[in-house]
Amino acid sequence: VSRPGLVQVPRGVQCFVGDEARRRRAIEARVLEVFRGWDYEEIIPPLYDYAEVFSDPALQTSTVSFLGRDGELLALRSDFTSLLAKIAAGRLARREPPIRLYYSGEVLRDEPLQPGRQSELYQMGLEHLGGGSRAADAELLAVAAECLERVGVADWVLAVGHVGVFGGLVGRCDLDGAGRTALRDRVDSRDPAGVRELLDGTETAAPVAAALESLTGLAGGVDTLPEALESVACSPEARAAVVELRAVVAAAAEAGLAERLVVDLSEVRGFGYYTGLVLRAYAPGLGFDLGRGGRYDGLLARFGRPLPAVGLMFGLDRLALVLERQGRVPEPDPAGPARVPARSLGAGLREARERRARGERVRFGDGGAA
Amino acid sequence: VSLTLALTKGRLLEGSAALFRRAGVPFPNGDGRRLVVSEGELRFLFVKDIDVATYVEHGVADCGVVGRDVLLEAGSDVYEPLDLGFGRCRLALARLRGARLDLSRGGSLRVATKYPRVSARWFRERGVSAEVVRLGGSVELAPVLGLADCIVDVVETGRTLEENGLEVVEEIAVSTARLIVNRASFHARRQPVARLLEALRGVAG
Repeated sequence: VSRPGLVQVPRGVQCFVGDEARRRRAIEARVLEVFRGWDYEEIIPPLYDYAEVFSDPALQTSTVSFLGRDGELLALRSDFTSLLAKIAAGRLARREPPIRLYYSGEVLRDEPLQPGRQSELYQMGLEHLGGGSRAADAELLAVAAECLERVGVADWVLAVGHVGVFGGLVGRCDLDGAGRTALRDRVDSRDPAGVRELLDGTETAAPVAAALESLTGLAGGVDTLPEALESVACSPEARAAVVELRAVVAAAAEAGLAERLVVDLSEVRGFGYYTGLVLRAYAPGLGFDLGRGGRYDGLLARFGRPLPAVGLMFGLDRLALVLERQGRVPEPDPAGPARVPARSLGAGLREARERRARGERVRFGDGGAA
Repeated sequence: VSLTLALTKGRLLEGSAALFRRAGVPFPNGDGRRLVVSEGELRFLFVKDIDVATYVEHGVADCGVVGRDVLLEAGSDVYEPLDLGFGRCRLALARLRGARLDLSRGGSLRVATKYPRVSARWFRERGVSAEVVRLGGSVELAPVLGLADCIVDVVETGRTLEENGLEVVEEIAVSTARLIVNRASFHARRQPVARLLEALRGVAG
């Protein structure tokens, strides 16, 4: 007697078959073709590695770890960027930078139960390690844009920011560690009232408080950057970050992406390893980002090979879902297979082999005897 | 339809209606049963307050109106760009009048609440071991009947507490109605979202 629940899919993982699976592979193929077109090289990383590789604070609670046979603490991969940084510093240590790598596969994050959130995430992404920063950042925007175009998403935008803007300002706030975390959360939620509440009654200089509040309201196209530059004038670090972002955004705009870029300086959450440019892709029809990325100049040093780096990834679930919501699902393949009966087993099989040799799709033996 | 808004039929409905009218933004007449109502360019969904945050987080609604108390509890990943000013209340810790409550570091107690996440976090930050009992309503009864030592609940005028022999010990947060916006809609539907924000910002108290 089998337990009825045994045939359910457990929480956090999914199963795709037929058209669903075909659609996902078609999306994946298009994205990877773009990656290869910009001369990124495929890497097939291991399924698990030392748990220490995945020690970013944003990953710690969701990484699934286990003890290896020799007592080492191991973990199922929960983040490709951390894993590839380690590989670039180890296996590829003698490879001259810049190194361009892409991957496609699953990560596992054990997150609390929430509808629509999976633990198994299929990600397609790339990392650009050790290149000139501005050129690499600009290239990243171009690759992201081409992926979204090629996949066929409508009306997408790339929201770009720079974590140094918030970083420069928060450094000038009269707040302890917990206060800074709370401030980060309020800026990320674009909540000006919350920012005011946290800074009221502290010794934070008024222009710094005003600048932080203005980050929550700043939104719009590339034309909002001059305004941003003015509003963060009180912090040289924040100003330098806006100048850096402006250079990259200007390049992308000149290359034809002006209408697709929106400035988002409140995007300050997520992985702690980001140090510069951050981006998220959005499109009408899906309430979550389709992909994201950013610059992480400090991560490789953790593995003993200090190199600047930038990367991005798209979630396959999200791309498949937004295409469905936008009504852009491709038609399933109309041509059926050639049916080859197996009434005379040997002769039937020979016919099937001959048809296969001609490249035909065959379905052998169904509905017949033998 | 350019935008979908999620609203609650509860405490904040009247304030929302008044604010939207002042801002010249169409607002449906609350004619009772219909849960989805279109009004000009806008589509309104009427849902339970904690679900407003869920609908907006998932992008089923682009925007919503919800109390900050609910947002604190839901922990939703949404933008909160506008304090609408109305629906003011406090989230407070209350006990039976005159009862002893050990809130020192290392203390231990049992708290009844509709806000388990907010409560657990507040006690954790103070090093107090609190066992949180989640209730669906009539939270004031819990200390009276001995289910808990104290409660964490919304206090508007304080009358309900008083009538049940309770008093506020500490304020945990002040809450007002907030306009929340889905993160993707904010960027991918920038123009209609910005128009709505602008109209409401002009009249928000």
